[in-house]
Amino acid sequence: MRQWRIIAKEAMARASIIGKFLCLLHVTDAYVLSSNHVLGPSMLPTLNITGDVVLVEHLSHRLGKLGSGDLVLVRSPLDPKKTLTKRIVAMEGDKVTFSLDPTRSHSSRSLVVPKGHVWIQGDNLYVSRDSRHFGPLPYGLIEGKVFMRVWPPSSFGLLGE
Amino acid sequence: MGEWSRSVVPIASRLCLLYLINKYLGTPVLTYGPSMLPTLNITGSLVLVERISTRTGKLRPGDIVIFRSPETPRKVVCKRLIGMEGDQVTYVVDPKNSDRCETIVVPKGHVWVEGDNIYNTKDSRNFGAIPYGLLEGRAFWTLLPRKDFGSLAPKPR
Repeated sequence: MRQWRIIAKEAMARASIIGKFLCLLHVTDAYVLSSNHVLGPSMLPTLNITGDVVLVEHLSHRLGKLGSGDLVLVRSPLDPKKTLTKRIVAMEGDKVTFSLDPTRSHSSRSLVVPKGHVWIQGDNLYVSRDSRHFGPLPYGLIEGKVFMRVWPPSSFGLLGE
Repeated sequence: MGEWSRSVVPIASRLCLLYLINKYLGTPVLTYGPSMLPTLNITGSLVLVERISTRTGKLRPGDIVIFRSPETPRKVVCKRLIGMEGDQVTYVVDPKNSDRCETIVVPKGHVWVEGDNIYNTKDSRNFGAIPYGLLEGRAFWTLLPRKDFGSLAPKPR
């Protein structure tokens, strides 16, 4: 009987160490740096259609240090279970000119991005569903800034403007 | 170095655990302001907020929810959920001046929130339906002030 108690105690001790490590990993993942797999055609040619693994940092958006030209990971306003990767084109207060159909340049509209929102667009305007379709995105839906790609190895490097 | 890590690591791991409970289970939240009178106190109410309903999608109209403000992203706002996506919501546009009502259908992926005190609140009637992703939790129990101690009942309109 004593044997089992000793074994159980040791198992609990080890489990608690692993639990604490996973805690720390999760906090780092949510608040500092995480890796995400992104795929789809809406950010061609910047990101591959078949999928890239990118590093996302979660500090800039909390400090308010995002600006236009940044690649961001956002929660979709149409489906809260999905996250999108797009580029910020305009911040609050900026005027943005866009056209829903890039093949017909004369059908463009302008608006000013309201307070607390940003305007995001995919780099591939022909297939991306972004702020041109669902409107300005509330800043609170931004989850992180994509700054680096680590997979595939041939495209390893920082992602910028 | 060893001594330093012996005292910091347990503190860090307990903070981690506290953070996880706060993020995934629930947390007390201090609310203030007139927009949820008479349900919540104007000078401050301490309420318990649980985060499980928002993550599993089990919110219902009538629940009190907290969410990140669509206009001021650093602020967290507390209002009552009135309509989920696809619901038809009828609301009084400007109750202080007229009785005019408008009806809208809540778009996909969004929810409609209103304060209980419709005469002094900024809610979906001002900033429109908010994306579901902004919701952070459901307030279900009032701790303070003592006279309001008890469950916050869902109140469908």
